[in-house]
Parts: sequence; structure tokens; C-alpha cells
Amino acid sequence: MAKHDTPLLDELESGPWPSFVTDIKRQAEVNPDCWDILGQLELSFKDRITHWKHGGIVGVFGYGGGIVGRYSDVPKLFPGVEHFHTVRVNQPASKYYSTENLRALMKLWDKHGSGMTNMHGSTGDIILLGCRTEALEPFFWDLTHDLKQDLGGSGSNLRTPANCLGESRCEWSCYDTEEACHHLTMHYQDEIHRPAFPYKFKFKFSGCPNDCVAALARSDFAVIGNWRDDIQMDQAEVKAYVDGTTIPNGGAHRDGDWGTFDIQKEVIDLCPTECMWMEGDELKIDNSECTRCMHCINVMPKALRPGKEKGASISIGAKAPILDGAQFATLIIPFIKVTKDDEFESVIDVIEEVWDWWMTVGKNRERVGETIMRVGLPTFIKVMGLDPIPQMVKEPRSNPYVFWSEEEVPGGFERDVDAFRKKHAA
Amino acid sequence: MAMSDQEIKDAILEKALKNKKAQLYVKDFYKCGPDAKARKIKNLANELVTEAKMVFFSSGSTTMYVHADRQRSEEVN
Repeated sequence: MAKHDTPLLDELESGPWPSFVTDIKRQAEVNPDCWDILGQLELSFKDRITHWKHGGIVGVFGYGGGIVGRYSDVPKLFPGVEHFHTVRVNQPASKYYSTENLRALMKLWDKHGSGMTNMHGSTGDIILLGCRTEALEPFFWDLTHDLKQDLGGSGSNLRTPANCLGESRCEWSCYDTEEACHHLTMHYQDEIHRPAFPYKFKFKFSGCPNDCVAALARSDFAVIGNWRDDIQMDQAEVKAYVDGTTIPNGGAHRDGDWGTFDIQKEVIDLCPTECMWMEGDELKIDNSECTRCMHCINVMPKALRPGKEKGASISIGAKAPILDGAQFATLIIPFIKVTKDDEFESVIDVIEEVWDWWMTVGKNRERVGETIMRVGLPTFIKVMGLDPIPQMVKEPRSNPYVFWSEEEVPGGFERDVDAFRKKHAA
Repeated sequence: MAMSDQEIKDAILEKALKNKKAQLYVKDFYKCGPDAKARKIKNLANELVTEAKMVFFSSGSTTMYVHADRQRSEEVN
């Protein structure tokens, strides 16, 4: 039986799509506090203002992240959501679960919280919605001791690292994203649980340039699988695609009537760098011009594969905020080996170089990409001890970024103007 | 001479107690140990939290530090 009249929210159940209102009503039958979520949201719709307050001195002892405080600003009207804190639980790499684990997690959340979840939040974490302050420590104890799971990151912490399925399911993965993500999650536990930086910092690990976790768009530090030799080709399989024996795109879109496969139209003409062509019935690729867009490999997976010398590229500085605009990451390290053989030290060295600089130079609430934009890419790559490369140029000839320093110029910047004028008369 | 860890921690606590704003970012403590690296200051500030001398204040997107004697109840939110 509904506790509040919610005509505006009920409207959201009338469409053909699944409704969160229906979900909350169902949960409210189990946990009556959830009626107050609907009551407060209905009031927010009427008042056209949120009635949630967020943040505060709330969390579990010793942790500076993982709990996001939420309070109602009308607790007398809706006591069930007086405290409604969000708990972020670190998801397993690639989000592989056993049903046993999911059931245990839900049992725990029904015991200590509202039973409402957001699987998964945009952070990638397991988001558990709605917990009273006094229930946080008992929940945390059970989570860590019984389930052996831990909280994720929030605030100015290293956020919970995320990765694609990697080598566990994907033949294109150029490194073990799960191992890298897990290793760095364990290596940086202190940074995940306690504030360390001017603002949030995110790692994401994609196994290939398809970038299934959107690392390039959404992480401060994107490790994206790559190769540095040539795309592997099987010319017999190329012919099989051309003559229709093999279905393109791995069989995706096969229900539509797309006509016969046209390699010129569907692959070669769509190559962004125009580095492919046919010679007779053989496909040719100028690999030095390939930008790893992955289109040809996606369309003809049996004929084309990533190269054999695999590793990753590191791009730095993406963000996807609501305020001040989104920003893609900039390629900083074109190729690096990413392997457990060295305990991922090669990647860790780059991470810590960035952190040491950003922690000093970055302003409060400034993402590392914003700091790079403020000081300029030349300064950043100098700090990182890197040489500029053409891939760092955003807009050639309209936004020059390579400057000579005085010591690089024979004779320095001092010159005899009179001698110059004699040589170059007006 | 470089400051000892305890001297830096004392300076952090003093800053957290006397600063006009109660909520401080970790960067606001960097001057408490001018010769120390930023990560060192961060670690010492976090030690003060485990010693219950400071508490974290989180907005969800940002985390700040508050001196334990200046924390108010969540009703301030």
C-alpha cells in the first residue's frame, strides 16, 4: 500500500520502457522506508528543486572514500530517507561474479541498507543506495570480514580502477587488463581509500583500441592495448570475406538485408588514413599510416588481427564532467610493455611521475587534464622527460606547441640587430 | 634543517585548528612541511585521521580535512 500519493512519478511508469519508479515501489513492499524515496522525489518534482543534501563527515573509520553522505532536507516529512548514504563497493575485475557472491552481497545490503542498488554506477563500482550512519560500520565489518570485499574510491582519491574483459574473453586484447587492473588496485589501496590528490584521479584499462571501457574519454590515465608491428593478415580469409563465404562483422547485423559484402565500400573507403588498397585479390596495408581505428579488424576478424608485438599506449587527461566540458585524453606514451613480469613497474613509474607533478602544480578541484591544459602540453612533456611526437599535435599548423628553448638554438636568442638588418634589408 | 614527521604533523594540526575555514584540502597543508614532498604531507595528514585528531569531510567528489575539535554534526550539511 503506497504511503504517499505520487501522480507525477506514476506518469513515469506509463511508457513502454522499464521504470525505476516501478522498481522502487516493488522494493518498498519489502522495505517500507523506500516509500519515502518516492515521496521525497514527488515533492522535488513539485518544488522543482532537489531535497537531497550530500557530503559531510560520514564514512567508516580511517577511510576517506567509499561512502558518499546523503541526507534529506525534509527528514520530518520523509523519515525513511533521513540518512540515505551511498556506498561504493569495489567491483571485481571485469565484473565477473558468482551468483553465490551476488546473493551474499544482497543479503548483507538487505540487512544493513535499503536493498536498493545501482549495478553498476557510472564509476563502475557496485553502488549500494541508502544506508543510515549507524549502519555503516556494521555493514563495512561484514563486507570486509565475511565477503572479503572492500569499498571503492570517492572524493579526491584514486577512484576504483576499471578494465575491459581483456584476455578472459577477447582475442584482440594486447595485454592482460584484468591482471593490470587487479595489481594496481592492490598496489594503490592507500590512494583508493584515503584522499591523496587535488581532485579525483581515474585509471582505466582497455585491451585494444576498441576501448570498451572508454578509457580515452573517461579516465585521467588511460592504458589502451596496442601493437607496434604490422596487422596480421590471412589473405585466404580476405578472399573468403570478399566471395561471401565468411560473414563480415563476426555475424553482427546479419538479420538486416545489407546486400553482398563490398570490401572497397565497407572497409577500404572507410579507413580514416586511407592506408589500405587491393592489389588483385590481395589486401595491402601501409602499416606506418595505420591509426589503430580497428574498423578493418572489427569487420573482418578472421582475416585481420592485431600485430604480434603487443603492449599499450598511455593517454593522459580525459574527463567527462557536466561542468566545463568533456575532454579526451592526450597520447603521451605511444608504446609501453604492460606485463606482470616486472610487476607493472613500467606503468607505475609513469603514474607516479604524473602524480608527483600534479600533486604539486595542480590546483584544488583541478583534474590532471585541466592542469595540463593550463600549463600547456610542452611544459607537461618536459616534466615527464618526453620528446614531443607528431601524435601530440592536436591541430597541425594552427596550434603550434613546439618551441625552441634558448640552449637549443646555436648562438642563443641574442643577436646583433644591425648585422641582421644589413643582411636582410627592408 | 628538515622538519621531523612529528613537527610537520603538529604544524598541520595547528593550521587545521586556526585556519579561518574549517575544511581544508590536502594541498593547503603543503606549506606545513616546506621541504617535504606532497605525498609525504598527504601520508602524515592521513595518519592524523587514523589517530582521530582530524576527520575527513567528503562532498562525494572532493575530500577535505577537518580538525577533530572543529567537526560539527552532520546537521551542518
